[in-house]
Amino acid sequence: MHIEIADLRRRFGRVTALDGVDLTVSGGMFGLLGTNGAGKTTLMRILAGVLPATSGRVVVGGNDLSTRGGRVAVQRRLGYLPQELGLYPDLTPTEFLDYVGLLKGLDDRAARRGQVGDLLDLVGLSDVAGRKLKGFSGGMRRRVGIAQALLGDPTLLIVDEPTVGLDPEERIRFRTLLSSLAGARTVLLSTHIVEDVAQTCRQTAVLAAGRVLFTGQVTDLTARAEGVTWEIVTAGSPPTDGVVVSAIARTDGTHYRVVSPRPPSPDAIPVSPSLEEGYVALMRSATPLPVG
Amino acid sequence: MTALLAVARYEFRMQARKRSLWIAAVLLGGTLVVLQGDRGPRSLPVGTPAREVMATWALLFSILMPLAYGMLLADRLVRDRRLRVEPLLESLPVGPVARLGGKYLGGVAACGLPGLAALLVAAVTELPKRHDPALLGWALVAFAVVTLPGIAMVAGFALVCPTFLSVPLFRVLFVGYWFWGNMLAPAFLPSLTGTVLTPIGDYAATWLLGSGQTALFAGTPGLLPFLRPDPSGASAALSVAVIVLCGLIPMTAAALAAHRATRQTWPAKA
Repeated sequence: MHIEIADLRRRFGRVTALDGVDLTVSGGMFGLLGTNGAGKTTLMRILAGVLPATSGRVVVGGNDLSTRGGRVAVQRRLGYLPQELGLYPDLTPTEFLDYVGLLKGLDDRAARRGQVGDLLDLVGLSDVAGRKLKGFSGGMRRRVGIAQALLGDPTLLIVDEPTVGLDPEERIRFRTLLSSLAGARTVLLSTHIVEDVAQTCRQTAVLAAGRVLFTGQVTDLTARAEGVTWEIVTAGSPPTDGVVVSAIARTDGTHYRVVSPRPPSPDAIPVSPSLEEGYVALMRSATPLPVG
Repeated sequence: MTALLAVARYEFRMQARKRSLWIAAVLLGGTLVVLQGDRGPRSLPVGTPAREVMATWALLFSILMPLAYGMLLADRLVRDRRLRVEPLLESLPVGPVARLGGKYLGGVAACGLPGLAALLVAAVTELPKRHDPALLGWALVAFAVVTLPGIAMVAGFALVCPTFLSVPLFRVLFVGYWFWGNMLAPAFLPSLTGTVLTPIGDYAATWLLGSGQTALFAGTPGLLPFLRPDPSGASAALSVAVIVLCGLIPMTAAALAAHRATRQTWPAKA
């Protein structure tokens, strides 16, 4: 599903959450990166038809979201996992999904129940399908969330910070699941965890202070750190020049990976960057960080 | 229509499962049964018509049980925001009017359940003494004309008012209103007691009693005399209609506001 966003703005009182966002999403899995408060959730909520914009043009699959009709048309093909998904604690996962299915217009009872059962299988919750949601862990609740988003086989899936609060194993499982769903769908993944995008997306955009800093291939974002990523092995104090992206203690000393426009020390050797380092290089170029 | 019924169905299911609904109903209903005194239905002589017996029971339960309904319904609409279910619900292709209407219907049905159960239990316990199976039928009629309209009115205000008042403030105001507007004698202080607006079901119960006596204060002279017609079948029907319509006023206002909000558009250029 093609998404076209032009000059999108959203203000909350005096606070500008989105400040002239231009973005095109063609399909497949698309990662939206940014720090907390960058405007990702606001953008996701506008795309889900939950929040009106202040101004701008958003066309999703040919539907103009500035109109009620356009929003409803998109919502009929949408699966949405909000950042903070609440569930009714007094329902079971089966009941909750059945409820959401009914609201999505899945009127055929047998088909709906079949789909609910399949999705509970898919997210590994069949064993607890009859248990009340109030006893569910954060990971289990997220899995219910993705199951409800998939009800009705949506062509557009919007998932907002889906891996926050998940343990590493669940994060990996969740990422794999999202990737496998992207085939014929457009999946918009909003996150501040760069690794999630690195592992799942080919296309990405970076949002900061309500503006798009970068949009393009994940490899192009990684390339932003080409020539500015260094490794230093030292037993002494950490480098003070540039941004330390990682520090791993080994027997020969601590291995630091640093993003810096110049070698942070005479011993620094240039290395191939990761997406995280590309992201850091981009953010650093957009907002000068204190050096030294 | 499907969405409205779906919301009503699940709202009913969630509320009917609430232990607090049943505990409050049993406590308040039980208290009234124990403390009913000489004017209560248990004191009615054998041979009293079943219609009169069940009207008295319905009125007795209506004195306090709606307080429980009002308290419990007060958080049902704001709860979606508190539980953070609202963003998900708003992303679904269902208008807010269907969601609001469904909540209302489900809430009324769920609160009606203990009210109906109380009347049926009362009818069954009266059977060995009065040997009149018509008690069961009149229990249903009393529920429909005395209990249910009151619940419909309470539900309308209890769902909507806490969206602009806080839930605790609404609950305090509601309790105050309930005693002032339903049970405070009009001669004692100006109040709505005894008018066709009283959700306690005074006019309907008076009509069911059918013996010329007033159930509580129906038609007693007082504030707003045009709302105090002489008790009769017609004034009972009027009271039922007015009570239900009163409950629909806040619902309609909320639905219009929500409908307007969803139709909001924005310009392509700032």
